Formats: sequence, structure tokens, C-alpha cells
Amino acid sequence: MPDMKVNEKHVTVGKQFHDDPRMTMRNVNVFYGEKQAIHDVSIDIGKNEVMAMIGPSGCGKSTFLRSLNRMNDTVEGCRVEGEICMDGESLYNTKLDVVELRARVGMVFQKPNPFPKSIYENVAYGAKIHGLADSRIDLDEIVENSLNKAGLWKEVKDRLHQPGTGLSGGQQQRLCIARAIAVTPEVILMDEPCSALDPIATARIEELIKELSENFTIAIVTHSMQQAARVSDRTAYFHLGQLIEVNPTEQVFTMPEHELTEGYITGRFG
Amino acid sequence: MNNSAENLRRIQKSLKKRYFVERCFLWSGRAAITLGLLAVLVLFVDITSKGYGAFRSTEILLDIHYDADALGIDNLHDEKQLAFADWDVLLKNALREQFPDASGRKERKQLYGLVSNGAGFDLKERLIANPKLLNTSEKVWIIADDDIDTYYKSWLSGDPYAERMSEKQIQWIEVLDEQGAIALKFSKNLFTRGDSREPEQAGIWGAVMGSLFTLAITFCLSFPIGVAAAIYLEEFAPRNRLTDFIEVNINNLAAVPSIIFGLLGLAIFINFFHVPRSAPLVGGLVLTLMTLPTIIITSRAAIKSVPPSIREAALGMGASRHQVVMHHVLPLSMPGMLTGAIIGMAQALGETAPLLMIGMVAFIVDIPQGFTDPATVLPVQIFLWADSPERAFVEKTSAAIMVLLSFLIVMNMTAVWIRKRLERRW
Amino acid sequence: MDKLSFENHIASRYDEELEQIFSQLMAMGGKVEQQVQLAVKAILDSDSNIAERVIQGDKDVDRMEIRIDEDCVLVIARRQPTASDLRLVISVTRAVADLERIGDEAEKIAKHALELIEHGPLMSGYTVVSQLGVSVTAMLHNALDAFARFDADAAMRTIDEDKQVDQEYKAALSELDTLMASEPALLKQYLNLVWIVRSLERIGDHAKNLCEQIVFVAKGKDIRHQ
Repeated sequence: MPDMKVNEKHVTVGKQFHDDPRMTMRNVNVFYGEKQAIHDVSIDIGKNEVMAMIGPSGCGKSTFLRSLNRMNDTVEGCRVEGEICMDGESLYNTKLDVVELRARVGMVFQKPNPFPKSIYENVAYGAKIHGLADSRIDLDEIVENSLNKAGLWKEVKDRLHQPGTGLSGGQQQRLCIARAIAVTPEVILMDEPCSALDPIATARIEELIKELSENFTIAIVTHSMQQAARVSDRTAYFHLGQLIEVNPTEQVFTMPEHELTEGYITGRFG
Repeated sequence: MNNSAENLRRIQKSLKKRYFVERCFLWSGRAAITLGLLAVLVLFVDITSKGYGAFRSTEILLDIHYDADALGIDNLHDEKQLAFADWDVLLKNALREQFPDASGRKERKQLYGLVSNGAGFDLKERLIANPKLLNTSEKVWIIADDDIDTYYKSWLSGDPYAERMSEKQIQWIEVLDEQGAIALKFSKNLFTRGDSREPEQAGIWGAVMGSLFTLAITFCLSFPIGVAAAIYLEEFAPRNRLTDFIEVNINNLAAVPSIIFGLLGLAIFINFFHVPRSAPLVGGLVLTLMTLPTIIITSRAAIKSVPPSIREAALGMGASRHQVVMHHVLPLSMPGMLTGAIIGMAQALGETAPLLMIGMVAFIVDIPQGFTDPATVLPVQIFLWADSPERAFVEKTSAAIMVLLSFLIVMNMTAVWIRKRLERRW
Repeated sequence: MDKLSFENHIASRYDEELEQIFSQLMAMGGKVEQQVQLAVKAILDSDSNIAERVIQGDKDVDRMEIRIDEDCVLVIARRQPTASDLRLVISVTRAVADLERIGDEAEKIAKHALELIEHGPLMSGYTVVSQLGVSVTAMLHNALDAFARFDADAAMRTIDEDKQVDQEYKAALSELDTLMASEPALLKQYLNLVWIVRSLERIGDHAKNLCEQIVFVAKGKDIRHQ
């Protein structure tokens, strides 16, 4: 039985840094009021890399993910310390506007959450609020491209003006991905994007993640270790708010460095 | 540890009792609903049976001769002449012609009492509308006096109520009935006139207009203010002691007796701001105060029911909080808000107590033309009529209640329709 | 990660499944070791009964291989093992293959022993077989022992033993070469011995493979072909 306690002065094992980083996080601490949710996490996410974050429930992986596009700002009493930079620009300490940030760092949520509007409106929403399209033709093009990239175009091209909520769960999630990529972000954060989907829809999304990684940097939080193993280049293991280990995915799933990682991925935690 | 056979025996033993309790629960529920439905049914039957008569009024067919000499006018465009003319003389002449047997002052008075006091003015309007009638004759249905109306209706139903009738009058009515010169006609007065001391002349149109003006003010003020307050409290306000305090107070306000709002309106709007008394404007202001808590509470509930995932999605796309509210939260919660507002309006429509305090209980004959004209509202009109001694006002009161109830039903149906129409699934 | 166990999975049935696979592997190892010992004994004692028993026994070995492989496939399908569990299951499937080959070699030795007995026993040449047999059975024994304890160090030492076996094999071949040259009439019998010696050498190689799997399980390092 691995020792489940984490010492205070924990050092992350493995290869947490990257030669060509898109986002760099250094000594990040996140607090909810008095409670500290993230302890001193330092990690890089490389360009066009798929970074999977795994760990038991309440380990802070979602919290960490949400601090990457400042979604935690909406939570009252949440405080982020340390440095989170994107392309060398600090997210929290400079004047980088949160609206701009979220246009550059898109997010896909656990439950498919299309707006109760038409499919077209869903995808066009980001472009509209950020003023990315000069004309209707531009907007049409953005919508078609995004749906194409999300592998949804063929399925929905004849019903663009029907409600997005009428699609199946997997289609809805791909619609949300299309919505996110319509504003051409650099990074896409995914918070357990397949947990509400059936295996076939999950497989489609996973396939899509692989395709998207050619153009986007992706950070994905997942409860499914198999999913992390399938889609990611590197895997980060979080435990009780600490980053225990970051390593190439193939290593994490065959020969993890830390015994806590080993315990988690082989299913040995109570 | 019990073995399974023993457990099974116990379960079977308890089944009978459980089902019995379940049946009791079911039947008590059904009984409660039946009781409620019965009460409503009794109310409706009672009101309808009392009030349906008011929709028809007794009218008498008289041969009117528009005698210019008798009236003392020669020019129909002379306002002064029209105002001073004795219009009742036309009726009196016609009645004397019809029943020459009436002799003596007392009998004459009884004869003239067959028709309504205000009937002369109806003739005046007829003549002004059609000046060619001057110095000619025509048969006109003249509205009868309320006592005659009450007697004739009760006589028709086989149980004559002759308390306020003289022998002679009863004879005359029988004669008229034989001639087919007395009949029940649709009561236009009820739907076109304001209040009157004479039941046969009294209508609810003034109260309806008063209610509409008052409600318009209430809606225009309470809906935007209520929705704005709800959005601020739900979406923008920080959670702290101040907002908690405000929330508690809004909930308390919803439970404050409505007459208190009337006192408040009297003290602030009338005595301090000198808003005209008895006007729909001040009534609307007071009812706004009263309905605001309801609208705020229902609007907040509607906003709360918008799934947070929609907000997250919009925020995640880089929408500002204002955009989140305007693009997503407001459209999604609008059906709920409108439903709440309509229920608040229905409440306001039925409210009497606060309006009594601000003078909307005054006797107002003229139909209000604007927000500052003196007016009364439907429930207050009902209250006033219910208080009047004339027997004919009993059926008027019931008729007014029927009108008020149908307004409420229409409003509630609109609320249901709006909800069905705008409601979306997500 | 030197300490290895199948225990403490949240799903205790998973523990049991791994435990069962492993104990079956150990049973198969024991059976195969016995087969090799008996085969060598059959030659040295010229006992055709023992040889027959070895040939019969190989069917058991084959059955065990299939059984363990099935169980491994089931665990992979059911549990999707990762990390140490994954390494264990994979190494067991590989080790089972090696054990089965060792069983086959033992059967071959027994068949050649029967031929030898049929043609009439030789006067010389048995010493080389006996010497190589002792080394190889010892090596196999050590390998299985190391497997039972996931002892990577012991496994490394056993791998080193293979060099000695190879040397003994070469020496045995050259001695048999001289014997064949001096007694060409018994060429057929000596060829049997050559095949037997060759089989023993192969058993040594398979034992070495087993040891490499132990290192893979314990250290996560693949040291094959190095």
C-alpha cells in the first residue's frame, strides 16, 4: 500500500517542463477562502501538445484547469497566487483582459452545454461578441470551418437553424468544441469532456482531440485513465492539490515514477 | 440475524397496513380537491345565478313625440337651450298618453316613476344624434326604473317582489306586458357607463377603465424595476450582509398587509408629492409597491432556474457578465418573469384595501380619460355596490364580480400561454 | 518500484485474478522444471518409461499454457491493467511462451532418449549430457525462483549463468565431434546426443528469457537483445 500522505515540501517528479511552452505555470497556489486547493504547482504545457491531467476526485485538477482561463474568477472567495503565463504574458498580474484571455484560451465543459439557440447561432456566438466577422459571408465561413474541424458539418449542414439542444449528447459536445474553436483560440481546455457521453461518442471526441492537436494546444482533465492514455502526449498526476508527477503518457501508464501515481493508475486507492 | 423466510413473513404482514395508509392518503387528497372544487362551484353558481339578470334590463316601449314647444327649444345647436330643456316632459307626455287613467298627483307621480330618472337624457342624446326627429314621433324602448326592473324580473320568474310597488303600477305593467310593450333587453348601460346612484343607470365601464389605467401604471413601473432588481441581486450583487438584509426584507415585504401600502401611498405620494388623489396614477404607484416583492421573488426564481452551465459556456467564450445576462439569462428567464408579473398583476387587479386609503373609493360617475382623472377600480366598485341599499344593486354586484373574475381568468390564461409559448428546453 | 504485489486493488477480485495467474505460472514452471529433470534422467538411466512419461507430460504443459494465456487475455479485457499490473500480465504471457518452449525441448530430449534406447545405448558421451543437464536445470530452477520473488538481482545473476552454459555446450559439441570421428558406425546415436545437447542449450536460452521478463516486471526495463 503506497503511503497516501503527502509531505509539505513536495517536489514534482518527472518532466514537468517543456522546451517550447505555450503556457508556463510557476509555483501556483489556489485558495478557496481559507482552504488551499492547489499547492505550489509548476508545469509547462508545450505548443500543440495534449496534456492530460488525472487524479482522484477533489485533487484539484479541475480547479487548476479553470485557473488557466480565469474561470475561477467567477467563484467567490477564490484566489490564485503564483505565475501563470501564456506565450510569456502573465495572466493574473498584468493588464491582460479576461475577455481577451478567454478568446485565446477556449473551454469545453463536462456536460455538453450548447446555448438554447440554433446550431448556427451557437458557433457564431463567439465570433459575434468578439466582432471577428465583417459580414454575413465571413460569419458563414467561420461557422462552416469550425463545424468541419469539429467533424460535425456533414451531420448538421442541413439543419443549421434548428436548435443545438436537439442534437445527441456527443453531437452537442462536438458543437461546443466547434463553438470554442470558432474564435481560433491557442489553447483549448477540456474539463472531463466525455464523462456524460456513451463510448461511441467518446471515441469520436477522442479522435477529434487528436486531430485538433495539430493546430491547438489542449489541456484535458479526465477521470478516465484509458482516455488520458489514448489521447495525451504527457500526463500530469494530481493528488490532494499537489502535482505529483508529470511524464510522457507512455511512461506514466507503463512505468510511473512516483508510487502515488502507480497506486492511482493501477486502482489501488481506497 | 433474521433468516429470509422470517423477513418475508414480516414484510407480508406489514404490506396490508402500508397499502391501507397509502389508500387513506390518496383518498384524503381526493377529498381535499373535491372540497375545493365544490367550494369554487358553489361560489360560481351563486354569483352567476345572482348576477346573470344584471346583463339584461327592463325596458318599456313608448311612443315619444319630440315636441319642440314642450321642450322649449328651437335650435338644436344651442347648448344653452339643450341644457335648460326639460327632457322628462317628453316621457311624461308619452306615459300620460299611454295610460290616460292616471289621475291625481300621486298616481301621476307613480306613472312617471315607471321609467328611469335618467331616461330623459337618453332621449336628448337620441335627438342630438338625429336632429330630423324634432317634431316627429317614434317608438322608443325606454329603460325602466330599478324598482320596476326588480319587480318585472321577479314577476317573470313567478315570484313577484312587490314591496316598493303600488297597485296601479302593477296593473300598468300587466297592461304593458299584454301589449308586448315591456321586455328584457341587453343592458348596454352596464358596459358603457360609470357609476350612478340609480342602479338601472349604473355601469362598470368607469371601473374597468380605472382598473386598466391603474394596471398599466403598475405594470410599466413594477416589471422593469422588479426585473432589474432581480437581475442585480442574482447576477451582480456580492454575497454580503447588506444583500442578505435586502433579501430578507424583500421576502418580508411580500407578506406585509396591503393596507399598509395604502397608508404609505397616502403619506408619501399624496401628502408629500401631491399626486392627485383618487387617480389611477397614485393607485398604480401604490400597487407597484405592493407587487414589486412578488415580481422580484418570481423573477429571481426564474433567473435561478437558468442552468449555470449556460452561464459558464458564455463566460468561457469570453462574454462579459453584461452579455451573459442580456444574451442568455434574460431570454431564458423571461417566460418565468412574465408569468410572475402577470400573477402579480392579477393580485393587483383584485386589490381593494390600499386603494381605499388613497381615495379611489370615491363616487365617480365620469369615465376616466387619463391617468390623472379621478377613477375607481373593479374591486372597489364591487365593494361600493355591495354597500348600496337598492335591491337592484345585488345583481349588479354579482355581475361586476363575474366581470372581475373573467378578467382574472383571462390574465391567468395569458400567463399559461406565455409560458407555453416561450418556454424552451435545454 | 522494487516491491511488487498483486494486493490492495480497490477491486479485490482483481487481486485474486492476478494472484491466480501468477500461481498458475509458478505451477507451470514447476511442471516444466520436472519435465526437464526427468528427460535428462531418462537419457542417463536409459529408462524408456521415464521418457514416455515426459512425452505424455508435455500435453499437460500445453494445456497449462493455453489456460494461463486465456486468463491473461481475460484480465486485459476486464481490467485494462496499467503500470506494474500491465507489466506483470505481459511478462506472464511471454514467460508462458518460454516455458512452453522449454517443455517442447524436454519432449524432444525424451524422444531422442527413446531413439537412443532403441538403437542400443552408447558406451561414452553421457558425461557431457549429464554435466550440461545439471547446469541447465540449475539455471532454470534459479530463474523460476527469481520469478517467484520478482528478484531482479537474482535474475541478472542467472542471466550471467547462461554464458557458462554456452561454453559447456560448445565443449560438449566438440567432444561429441571427436567421438563421432572415432566411431563412425555409431553416428546415428551420437547425432541423437547432439540434438539433446542442442535442446539443453535452448532451454538455457529460454531460462535467460524468463529472467529478462523478471527485470521487465520489477524495473520496467526491457533488456532483451542487449
